[in-house]
Amino acid sequence: MKPTTKIEPFVNMLPEWMRSVRFRITVLYSTFTFLIAAALLAALYMALFASLHDTGNLSDLQGPFRFFNTDQAGNVTNVSPPFVQDARAFQRSINAEALRNLKEFSFSALGVLFLVSLGVGWIISGRVLSPIGRIREVADHIQATDLSRRIALQGPEDELKNLADTFDRMLERLDDAFDAQRQFIADASHELRNPLAVMRTNVDVVLRDPAATAADLRSAAVVVQRATQRMGRLVDDLLALARLEAPRALSEPVDVSTLTKEVAADFDAMGRDRSIALDIDVARGLEVTGDRDALKRAVANLVENALVYSPEGSRVTLGAGLAGGWCWVAVEDSRPGIAPEDQSRVFDRFWRADKSRSRSRGGSGLGLAIVRQVVESHAGVVRLFSEPGAGSTFVVWLPAAGWDPEGPLPALPAASPLDRRAAATSA
Amino acid sequence: MRVLVVEDERDLADAIARGLRQEGNAVDVAYDGQEALDKVYVNSYDLVCLDVNLPGMDGRSIARRLRTGNGLPGDGRPPRVLMLTALGDLEDRVAGLDDGADDYMVKPFDWPELAARTRALMRRDAGTSGAVLRVGGLELDTARHEAHRDGVELRLSPKEFALLAYFMSHPGEVLSQEDLLEHVWDENADPFTKTVRVTIMTLRRKLGEGEPPIETVTGSGYRLREDA
Repeated sequence: MKPTTKIEPFVNMLPEWMRSVRFRITVLYSTFTFLIAAALLAALYMALFASLHDTGNLSDLQGPFRFFNTDQAGNVTNVSPPFVQDARAFQRSINAEALRNLKEFSFSALGVLFLVSLGVGWIISGRVLSPIGRIREVADHIQATDLSRRIALQGPEDELKNLADTFDRMLERLDDAFDAQRQFIADASHELRNPLAVMRTNVDVVLRDPAATAADLRSAAVVVQRATQRMGRLVDDLLALARLEAPRALSEPVDVSTLTKEVAADFDAMGRDRSIALDIDVARGLEVTGDRDALKRAVANLVENALVYSPEGSRVTLGAGLAGGWCWVAVEDSRPGIAPEDQSRVFDRFWRADKSRSRSRGGSGLGLAIVRQVVESHAGVVRLFSEPGAGSTFVVWLPAAGWDPEGPLPALPAASPLDRRAAATSA
Repeated sequence: MRVLVVEDERDLADAIARGLRQEGNAVDVAYDGQEALDKVYVNSYDLVCLDVNLPGMDGRSIARRLRTGNGLPGDGRPPRVLMLTALGDLEDRVAGLDDGADDYMVKPFDWPELAARTRALMRRDAGTSGAVLRVGGLELDTARHEAHRDGVELRLSPKEFALLAYFMSHPGEVLSQEDLLEHVWDENADPFTKTVRVTIMTLRRKLGEGEPPIETVTGSGYRLREDA
């Protein structure tokens, strides 16, 4: 908060119309006009005053002076009383008269000028400030649920137009963010409804069956257990995503080599279950800066994803290394491959290549979205290289430790590091 | 009545099928769109409970195809369609109904409501609006699963009840053994057994003495007398 200035309490005591910018501009403008005009007139007056006092060429004339009338014969018929004793005094009296007149005219001119400038200032500032009224009106009407309105201010490219355009751009971003949020909530509730329906219907049906046996009840319980596990995973992943959206708090050195090997060990049993060979090829001493738990989760999601979707008896490779300032982690599998048009969508929340097939395998549909969120919050990049029929490789690039967060990122390699290495060793 | 449940969530599909069987229906299950299509063009269903999000072919396309009635077995009359979906928006419901659904339910649903709606949909074809069917002295309450003849309660098995309900929905019509097999038994029934004949015999016995209300029409099938 900015400290309030000394005059602010006094300004706030004024009635509302006097606190408006329009009023302040008008008064300020008129006051300055008045002061400048007053100074000019004062200078004029002083100059005139000084110059009139300097005139001394009538000093040798002597009085007293009288007006007199003469008849046709030249006789003086009427003599006024003497009105000035000498010429100097006469001149002084005329000068004084002129200065007094000048003063009076100046004062009334100043008064008129002040009033006119108040009026003109009020009208002009009103015209200039009118877009603010439009901006405020739109802002008033916008609610969080409807961000579709825009100010769309017409007119010259001035400060106010710039302000309105900035405001519009902000609304655009807000609108997009709210849309994404709405879509996410709709998707999440849709995903939660299916396991809910499974549980409710199974319980309802078995409870309403008077002839239900213990085995029936047991199988219903097993179904409910499956559904709750699925919901639990979904809720966990939703929470993880929500947490990841907050700014990353942790910035510790993370040993990627160890982390990757830990993940491989965690999934060893799952790989054996599905008789999938999990090959490890991790370089030593890889280090990045960030949140260890989040990074481990990202790598684990990639490995789990590969193990779930690869055909039994196939091979999954987990590799990590250093290339051009980037620390990379790659997971290569031999699943049927992902069609090019779907490759950009695999990281979207709840996106599934085949809805029911994946759901039956227990995924929440959020695994890869979490990966992307984690990687991007570490200023990294995740990419999928896949050709239908030739397997898929997910590659994560993270800026290697020692990278200056303010500086530019190194250029990203264009191909999967696993690919390139395979090509290099075969060559 | 013969019902097809189309739902890719197996745990849900099986529970719905089980519940509808308890209601005395003959229920088949399809776990994806293609399987559903295969079944509706082979068996004549009275009702299809159809999930919207299906792999293979989505529920709305199936509803649209069913509505045309092209290529359907039996009399070619499209089955009633009850759509089940997790999409609960107004637009989704309207779109579903416009595609030919007769009713629409949003997951998760209450089982009693789903059961009541399936009964209501199937009654539409029987031409009655209430849950109670009446033919002569026979009275069948499909909601309570109670059957009476001349005020005397009949104790029927679910299959016998379903058979009687089917006869009472088509009073006076001659129903062939195939018709009955098609609408009262599910796809697991063996068409070469005497199951229809045996069930009719036990049903006749339970309906009481005197002239049996279900008569045999030699060479064609069976008929429920309208003055039963």
